[in-house]
Amino acid sequence: MDFGRGVNSLFEIISNEHITQNYYKLTVRADDSPVPRPGQFYQIRCSSSTDPLFRRPFSVHRIVEAGNFLSVEMLYRVVGRGTEWLSRKKSGELLDILGPLGNGFLIDESPDPILLVARGIGIAPLYAVGEEVRKKNSKRNIFILMGARIAERVFYETECGRLGDVFLYTDDGSRGFRGTAPELLLDLAQGKRIPERFCLYACGPPRMLKGLARLARELHFDGQAALEERMGCGFGACFACACPLKPGEIVRNSQWGKPSLHWSADGTQVYSMICKDGPIYDLKEVDWDEWTA
Amino acid sequence: MNGRPDMSVRINKLILRNPVMPAAGTFGYAAEFSRFIDLNQLGAIIVKCITLEPRLGSCPHRLAETASGSVCTIGLQNIGVERFIKEKMPFLRTLKPPIIVNIGAQSLEDFARLVARLDGVGGIDAFEINVSCPNVKKGGMQFGTDPEAIYKVVSTVRQATDRTLITKLSPNVTDIGLMAKAAVMGGADAVSLINAPLAMAIDIENRRSRLGRNLTGGLTGPAIKPIAVRMVWQTAQAVNVPIIGVGGITSAQDALEFIIAGASAIQIGTYNLVDPTTLVKTIAGIESYMLRKQIAGIGDLIKSLDVS
Repeated sequence: MDFGRGVNSLFEIISNEHITQNYYKLTVRADDSPVPRPGQFYQIRCSSSTDPLFRRPFSVHRIVEAGNFLSVEMLYRVVGRGTEWLSRKKSGELLDILGPLGNGFLIDESPDPILLVARGIGIAPLYAVGEEVRKKNSKRNIFILMGARIAERVFYETECGRLGDVFLYTDDGSRGFRGTAPELLLDLAQGKRIPERFCLYACGPPRMLKGLARLARELHFDGQAALEERMGCGFGACFACACPLKPGEIVRNSQWGKPSLHWSADGTQVYSMICKDGPIYDLKEVDWDEWTA
Repeated sequence: MNGRPDMSVRINKLILRNPVMPAAGTFGYAAEFSRFIDLNQLGAIIVKCITLEPRLGSCPHRLAETASGSVCTIGLQNIGVERFIKEKMPFLRTLKPPIIVNIGAQSLEDFARLVARLDGVGGIDAFEINVSCPNVKKGGMQFGTDPEAIYKVVSTVRQATDRTLITKLSPNVTDIGLMAKAAVMGGADAVSLINAPLAMAIDIENRRSRLGRNLTGGLTGPAIKPIAVRMVWQTAQAVNVPIIGVGGITSAQDALEFIIAGASAIQIGTYNLVDPTTLVKTIAGIESYMLRKQIAGIGDLIKSLDVS
């Protein structure tokens, strides 16, 4: 019986480079597995024992196809023992990887400019969106709002500059705009420094996403966000990565089937599983108050 | 010894081709694993705990990894009995291993209604009564830490079905043997243990529980295995029904510890999430151990602990 090649297998490391601070870039050969879409993720075993235990989810950062050759890049920050273990792996070594998993971002063919809004490592999956947009339409405008707590934490600015126009922000104003990503977006919109119509893609901490969702309602723009959460399995079996949605606002389409929605008995509350129904959501559909409570 | 060892075990009316099955709540409704393993190789299949009404389960965030384990609260999220029968049973009926449905309820009346509803459904071979979930306010562990309550729940279910009954026990008790005896007196054909010990993990930066508003969860994974092996051994001294051992198993080596301690079969939970092929690897590993040790039948291993 064939259980799907590449679903759960060993991927060869092409490179695993230290970029700056505690940021790394992992490149693996993925010839035998399906071509991922921006927004999808891989579950990587970051341990050779039971401690750390679970796989860690990493979003697709870049997809490089050349003939039969497929390599996938993942950008990550060393934050604990799992990512620390991963950072010591060398090219030529093999990694136990499950994926690609989850839904991708919806990227339409419209000429409307796109806004990528990230904080810190959140830029990782958004860069893939930018490259996909470039591939489809080299003239479409890309604006990138990126930042961190302080100037020293800002990273990947040069790379993003090759993709589009970069606006930086820091909490303390030590670089770029002083404030948060939603505050910067509001400032840019009010100052008419970005077009009135745009499509937004975001990845970052829950509070940033919640702020963007509020702005989306006020300024009437569409946006999608990549959510992060601790995961048990990554394939819809353990129900650990629950994300509350607004019952009346659920977005379904040909790519987002949302097979793992769970409703309360009275139908007034609904949870989705981030690994199967996400990790990409429309900003409107997530119950941000419940998610960030 | 000629040929392959006999790995089959009997749990009352169930005949298992081998002693390896998933643990409820870590295997979804089984279909989630069909892309990774051949489900027909398993000794039995247990699906997620089913309740009368759909349950939303615990609020986010539900999982915090700890040393060789996790503190976790799903809170019996499930689609409810009607959708389970309509949407999940057709696939489960196509599988060869016995199908065991884990059941939960907050009252004796609801247990009776739930089992009455499921008892008429074809393709279900046994029930595993969940009186041990650490993550619900009512029902669950509240039943499983009181021998009288265990007795009442099991005898209520017993009256509603002739199918094989397994009672899943909680480790959050002083005397596990007493709880097992209560289950057997109520009419349980087997007991499974352990469910998750109640646990907590704290984020010292914000002084909040790592499970947010949920505060507590059940400890799962390899961290609990030695406790589980000890409790299986104690239970094997207390009752004469088959015991299904569960708690932190990652491999055939782990599984064999449980079997030697007194388990007739074992369940694998958390580690399926890490490596979804663990169940089939464990079956193969037990077989090679039996070949290496020249053990003809798994019965020769069960409760074979040398205490001399």
